[in-house]
Amino acid sequence: MSSRAENLARIARTTAPTLLGFFGVLLLASPLRLFEGTVATPILPLVVVYFWSLYSPGHLPAISVFLIGLLQDLLSGGPLGLWPAVYLAVQYIATSQQAYFLGREVHVVWMGFAVAAVSVSIILWLFMSLLSATLLPIGGLAYQMLTTIAAYPLFAIIFGNLHRRVIIEV
Amino acid sequence: MDVLGKEGRQAFGLRSNSQVGLLLFSLVSLILLLSSLYAAEASVFKKARETALEAASPVLSFFSGPIAWVQDRIGDVGDYFRVLEQNKALREENAALRQWEEEARSLRGVISALQELDAYEQPPEAKPINAFVIGEANEAYAHSMIVNAGADDGVKSGFAAVDERGMIGRIVDVSSNAARILLLNDVQSRIPVFVEGSYVEGLLVGRSTSRPAISITMLADADKIAPGQRVITSGAGGVLPRGLTVGVVDRVNEKEALVDLSADYARTRMVRILSYEFPQVETGAAADGEEGPVDAAVEADATPEPATPTERAPQEAPGASPQAAADAPEARAGAVPPDAAATDEGD
Repeated sequence: MSSRAENLARIARTTAPTLLGFFGVLLLASPLRLFEGTVATPILPLVVVYFWSLYSPGHLPAISVFLIGLLQDLLSGGPLGLWPAVYLAVQYIATSQQAYFLGREVHVVWMGFAVAAVSVSIILWLFMSLLSATLLPIGGLAYQMLTTIAAYPLFAIIFGNLHRRVIIEV
Repeated sequence: MDVLGKEGRQAFGLRSNSQVGLLLFSLVSLILLLSSLYAAEASVFKKARETALEAASPVLSFFSGPIAWVQDRIGDVGDYFRVLEQNKALREENAALRQWEEEARSLRGVISALQELDAYEQPPEAKPINAFVIGEANEAYAHSMIVNAGADDGVKSGFAAVDERGMIGRIVDVSSNAARILLLNDVQSRIPVFVEGSYVEGLLVGRSTSRPAISITMLADADKIAPGQRVITSGAGGVLPRGLTVGVVDRVNEKEALVDLSADYARTRMVRILSYEFPQVETGAAADGEEGPVDAAVEADATPEPATPTERAPQEAPGASPQAAADAPEARAGAVPPDAAATDEGD
């Protein structure tokens, strides 16, 4: 009996980052409208993908990242494959620079997130402009990415605690 | 390089495999993207979207309850500080509305008189379906909302969605219990509109700006458009009903006119989906005419000549045109009270 409970706990731990990513997508699809819609909703899955790809890639395999992005595309009604590509790009940036980031100060990691967010914003903007055959305004996207970057430390603290207390320390 | 040094966590994919997976799934995403470049509305994608909508709608409904509750409380707190000015503004608005009510009443009188002048057939009224907003695409380049009414409630793709301020968008995906509205400022949105005052028809093209300003593709009389003119749906193409409030012309430049939408997407909580089908010319009308030879004669007299109604007006108007009422009671149900129509038929 106890072994089954342990098993369940283990499954919950291993899938926690993925579930968190799905939760982030659902939050993004909810009519949150922070401060009467004046503040853009932070892209929580972006933080989830970056954070876990950096600190514990084994818990967030590429298929999870792909599915998180796919769910977001399906719910927002955008072209399929856009957000999976964006999130996988973030995962690539995080895992490739992992050796550099691990052990650095928190604000260095934060800057890394900012760089990743800006790079994927450019991909997003380019692709959507290509798709709609016009140069789209960049203001809304920049604002949302800035909100996400600004919200990163808050999420990083929460995820860091979760990571240390729940996922690693069995 | 095992950073965390725990073997137990390898159940969900080895570190060494993740680079291969990353590559593999990036490839899959790119293929998906390329295929959506060429076939954005492919039925497979549409089906997938609708299935996702159906599955996610209970969860989103569950989320949106507490969110709405919190928003209400926050809104209330803000209101306490502004109660005086709001009260004043509301009183002014009330006075203005009362004037409009007077005008509307007098116009209603004029319209009913005009309707009685001729065997006027009303355009089919759009039947509303009420729904709550349970989801929203909070993305820079996707502007859509998810509402909790779907095919089971009679929602179909293409229907217009309005809120209390004006038109907000058009239904694009429908599942059994939820539907997605493509908002007017989405890059994919194209709505036929009409500019009051300048009589220009055009297409309202979404441009994904955070402030809902939208361009109209110009037609012949473009230079007549001036800021402040109202923009309504034109009904061209027969997809949307004519006359839904869209917005007001904000700015005009050499190529396009920017429209300030009446809808305020940050405040849209309840929407009304208008089930509208373009009036079809049915063979049933001819069959009706054959049924009643007397009425058919009157109709044949009335319909082709536009001058006759005005001539007949003095005699017909007070009598509430019994033939016409008997002719098409369904069509006139909106104009004539049901009991009046019944007595006419009894006669």
